[in-house]
Amino acid sequence: MIIIGERINGMFKDIGGAIKDRDPAPVQEWARKQEYNGAHYLDINVGPSSAEPVEAMKWLVEVTQEVSDLPLCLDSTKYDAIEAGLKLCKQPAMINSVPAEMPKMERVFAMAAEHGAEVICLAMNEEGIPKDADIRVGLAAELVATADAFGITPDMLYIDPLVLPCNVAQDHGPEVMRTLREIKVISDPAPKTTVGLSNISQGTKNRELINRTFAVMAMANGLDSAIADACDDELMAAVASARIILDMDIYCDSYVDVFKQRNR
Amino acid sequence: MGLTGLEIYKHLPKTNCKECGSPTCLAFAMALASGKAELSACPYVTDEAKEALDSAAAPPIKKVTVGTGDHVVELGEETELFRHDKRFFHPTGVAVLISDTEDSAAKAEAFNDLEFDRVGMHYVTDMVAVKCDSGDAGKFKATVEAVAGKTEKAMVLMAEDPAVIEGALEVVADRKPLIHAATGDNYEKMTELAKNKGCPLVVKGSDLHNTAELVEKVVALGYKELVLDSGARETSQVLADLTQFRRLAVRKKFRPFGYPAIALTTKEDPREEVIQAGVYLSKYADVVVLKACEKQQLLPLLSWRQNLYTDPQKPIAVEAGLYEVGEAGEESPVYVTTNFSLTYFIVEGEVESSRIPSRILSVDTGGISVLTAYADNKFSAETIAEAIKKAGLEDKVKHRKLVLPGHVAVLKGTLEEESGWEVMVGPREASGITKYAKENFG
Amino acid sequence: MAVEIQKEKYRSKVGEVVLGATKDQGGTRSHTITVGGESALPFLHFEGEIPNRPVVALEVWDMVPDWNPCFEQYFGDVYNDPAAWAKKCVDEYGADLIQVRLKSADPDLNDTSPEDCAATVKKILEAVSVPVIVIGCGKAEKDNTLYTPIAEAAAGENLVMGVGELENYKAVTSACMANNHVVIAQSPIDINICKQLNILITEMSPAMSTRIIIDPTVAALGYGIEYSYSIMERARNGALQGDKMLGMPMYGNAGFESWRVKEANILTEEQPEWGEQEERGILWEATTAMAYLQSGIDILVMRHPEALKVIKGNIDDLMKDNSY
Ligand code: SF4
Repeated sequence: MIIIGERINGMFKDIGGAIKDRDPAPVQEWARKQEYNGAHYLDINVGPSSAEPVEAMKWLVEVTQEVSDLPLCLDSTKYDAIEAGLKLCKQPAMINSVPAEMPKMERVFAMAAEHGAEVICLAMNEEGIPKDADIRVGLAAELVATADAFGITPDMLYIDPLVLPCNVAQDHGPEVMRTLREIKVISDPAPKTTVGLSNISQGTKNRELINRTFAVMAMANGLDSAIADACDDELMAAVASARIILDMDIYCDSYVDVFKQRNR
Repeated sequence: MGLTGLEIYKHLPKTNCKECGSPTCLAFAMALASGKAELSACPYVTDEAKEALDSAAAPPIKKVTVGTGDHVVELGEETELFRHDKRFFHPTGVAVLISDTEDSAAKAEAFNDLEFDRVGMHYVTDMVAVKCDSGDAGKFKATVEAVAGKTEKAMVLMAEDPAVIEGALEVVADRKPLIHAATGDNYEKMTELAKNKGCPLVVKGSDLHNTAELVEKVVALGYKELVLDSGARETSQVLADLTQFRRLAVRKKFRPFGYPAIALTTKEDPREEVIQAGVYLSKYADVVVLKACEKQQLLPLLSWRQNLYTDPQKPIAVEAGLYEVGEAGEESPVYVTTNFSLTYFIVEGEVESSRIPSRILSVDTGGISVLTAYADNKFSAETIAEAIKKAGLEDKVKHRKLVLPGHVAVLKGTLEEESGWEVMVGPREASGITKYAKENFG
Repeated sequence: MAVEIQKEKYRSKVGEVVLGATKDQGGTRSHTITVGGESALPFLHFEGEIPNRPVVALEVWDMVPDWNPCFEQYFGDVYNDPAAWAKKCVDEYGADLIQVRLKSADPDLNDTSPEDCAATVKKILEAVSVPVIVIGCGKAEKDNTLYTPIAEAAAGENLVMGVGELENYKAVTSACMANNHVVIAQSPIDINICKQLNILITEMSPAMSTRIIIDPTVAALGYGIEYSYSIMERARNGALQGDKMLGMPMYGNAGFESWRVKEANILTEEQPEWGEQEERGILWEATTAMAYLQSGIDILVMRHPEALKVIKGNIDDLMKDNSY
């Protein structure tokens, strides 16, 4: 499973402060730490309250690339900020994210095609997040078909079925699992899938246990990647184990280390 | 895998009229792909779209049969690129080539001898190919008739002149021979011949692209009992083409390549030819045609075919019983193990390298390994004691000692009671046998 | 009609390992051999690079071998002289490299001392200019005493030495680490152990990751070859998909294994229905080797010069470009 390290996000106090003071140290420390622990991409988010998202994004991209060669996942609702970031990325990046809404899809897919970027696609539209898996899958199919029209192949897309906290929307759980399975019948090659892992445990106790349990269940249903805390060792060990059980990696006694060190 | 939503969507009218009950054509396509709707719910699907969707849902590679009766050779129906992903199904047909310019009667006679018994299995050279090198229809017909008189095995008829094939079919059409080949020049006539007689037909292109084109033309004439030949004859190119046939059929459901494939050797030296045939057999040929016809040449090739086509999910067993390693005598040690072939072969190798003539008693555990069989009660004091009796071990050795695998040392007591033999606990892993043998029997 | 050629997109490739060292590099070989580096499945040139052709070694023993009598005519005159034997393998039979098996070191045979073994290796290195593989007698305890003296005597030559096994890899790995040789990591037809052993060796020294050759143990045709074949296919697929701990070149003793079995050896008179013995043996060995080439082997160790010849011809054919 592809781990998109979530930690470089202005929502976190240290990163928010770093952006404000233009102090690269905390950003670079997290970039190194997440890479060391096995992240495959680094999510870059200036945070919800940034006053100057475009400039902040450019700065974050630059300081992160000074210490890490991992591809970046540019995370913003401000597409100008993403576009500015894309221009600075040294290798093909990921755009996070676009819903199944028309003007937004056009804007995002056009810039993804231009920069060869992958795109996280949200299975929602103007009406919000559907509960029913069929509707989620329908939205995913719309996203795939629209991207196709822009010359973007389905394997460049990561469909996020959208996860709600399990303490408030328990009934969404089985629908998300079914969505993950059925997304694979949209096309060949199939689009990939992703989730914002920690959403499932918002406001609960035992957050890490819920996160990793959800991660392995979702993997069994076809989940390809997650935006997650790469420094959660238990999570990484659980993901490595799930990969063994699903015959995605070849077992050896040191399989957890092998999984974490793959990028090193 | 069935069709994907996007593939189905491409064949729908895209008017979003909602008559099928789905809000959009795309939603309907997704419902179809996940098996929640029937195509008939949309009244606007064209017949063409229906046919395209039907054929896309067929298995990736069609089954084609050659020959009749007990000698039918089934080809195709493969679903994998790697045997470890599931298994390969229909073993490659191995065809020995007889030219109408050589002493065909003698070669056909010798051909019948190309069957082998090895490790309890019977290997058969299952096809004979007759080739027209003379250019003479009468001579070819006579040769085909002569060969057909000598063997009942499935036949391949090789000539590119439809008149030559037509003549031969007069005498052997009822044997359902494989016709080689329809080409760009002759396909209309060849297809008609094959279709009328119900014989499978090789479609031979000049390269991959041309082969696909030609298959479509033959299919358009209404015939589908086909076998593919890309026309390539260089080892490396044939390997690439056979790989593309298989990949496109299995991964992409590319219809023109959804048929078995044939490969022809070119090497004159029989050793080189056997190895060339081996490459094709390893990588996806459903029929291999070669000239080599000596026993020592076919045995290795047929053994490789047998090994390659075993089901990796099914444990394979050696015949249970008593085996001798070296010139075993009355005092030679006796090792006990299961009849899981890998276990047995490893034990045999180690016993052999101890250089002490010995016997190995292979107990019938249904082909599973020592620990699994023990857990399953198939490798127990009773089954071992029974195997001792069945093998007549008491008459073969004077001593009454058995070496038991170290992993099942717990069986020692009950086995001694059950059999009356003294049980020596051997090493846990086979790799310890040589050392153990030296220390105890050296 | 244009067919859309199917090419796999792989994330990674097999690591390259250099065998032997020239004068400039501190050795005395006339040339080095590089193995590995594939970014495609075996011989599928159309989907990636196959920068180095698989190489074929011939086997030399340091004592008169107990081989089938059919080998007399090829090696009988040099059975007593490993250096001359090695030279003949290269000069007359066209071996790409030599593998010497120090069989006589076996305590139950001649129990040859480590110093004498090292001397034998030195003599072979003087007699031939190709890279050399050295393996012990097969008894781990004794073999562990050989590695360091040989590694030191041949320091700078970049030998391939083996074998390291899961329970016994440290002695040979240390000897290779200290003197810059390449180690053979052998696993018993078990992909999990294969991977674990590579990890353990790399943990001893990260620099060893480009100095490991995988020996997955190649069973002979008819005797479990399909297990080894599938393990090698899985390992190679894993390597191409980014599993670095399976991404080393692979090696196998096709000759040794093939000539242990009945089908290669039993005389024509005893088993006439299997055909002529020597020809059968040659093809038993060559067919075994052919199958391993198709599952990704990089170094084949053969025994019969005629089997080597036909396999080298097969490699020539398969190395021809087949891109579309
Ligand atoms: S009935 Fe046919 S055309 Fe109408 S929406 Fe359904 S699938 Fe589309």
